[in-house]
Amino acid sequence: MELSPQEAASALRDIETAQQRSATLRSYTLSSPHLVLWGLLWVVGYGLTDLFPQHGRAIWAAIIAIGLVAGFAATRQGGRRAGWRYGAVALTMIGFFFAIFAVMSPVNGRQIAAVIPLALAAAYILLGISRGPRFIVTGVVIAALTLAGFFLLEQHFFLWMAGVGGAALILAGLWLRRV
Amino acid sequence: MSRGDDIIHQQTRLQIMATLRALREDEAIEFTRLKAIVQATDGNLGAHIATLEGAGYINVIKDFVGKRPRTRVALTRNGRNAFARHVDYLRAILDRPAAPGQKDGGIS
Repeated sequence: MELSPQEAASALRDIETAQQRSATLRSYTLSSPHLVLWGLLWVVGYGLTDLFPQHGRAIWAAIIAIGLVAGFAATRQGGRRAGWRYGAVALTMIGFFFAIFAVMSPVNGRQIAAVIPLALAAAYILLGISRGPRFIVTGVVIAALTLAGFFLLEQHFFLWMAGVGGAALILAGLWLRRV
Repeated sequence: MSRGDDIIHQQTRLQIMATLRALREDEAIEFTRLKAIVQATDGNLGAHIATLEGAGYINVIKDFVGKRPRTRVALTRNGRNAFARHVDYLRAILDRPAAPGQKDGGIS
């Protein structure tokens, strides 16, 4: 087989396109269970916070612990290294939020409950810039819903985040799983 | 310069091999997902998979998830090496200096 430089260049472009598509779909597949998981946890966590706002810290300590353990288990699909990466990302996020709230203190429960989803939304948008547009859409929707609830539904913000925010995360997770 | 691989070079098979190469070494991809990536019909993709499997470049794994049959495809070590050689061959063509008075080089 003898190819011209044009044919070789065209073949290399096909390879790059297929590898990019493959990597994007792989990212979607690996992220999908985490979005569904955290969507369910948002429903429970924000729902309970709406019912028992005085126990918000205890509720979220439990929700985050459950989420991290379940999320770590879900990374097995991505290989052993993915588990370590997940742990490192989780520790970074926890440290980041503690630092942010220490610097911004005093902050109320609503502010904490809005800042975390907004930071996660930004993380998804940044991820999407290199890994695929569905992450960008997910991040934009989560940010928009969080801001809408925070500014327009002051009294029912936790309930809004439980119902609409949680449902949006679950739907985004199911969407990522689709081919 | 190594020679190109006629089996791999066909466009759909090239895309299949590139897709599989982007996965982890021990990872397989589901037929439906592969079909979406290479944008081929079931029959067309099946025929190309059979060709690559016949050459020993890929493994086809059939199993069940619950009651649902599942077909997955994975690159073999032989396939991984053959694909790397083919990519080297393609890059070498681009790196080759053009002969004087020749715009595009090679003969198809």
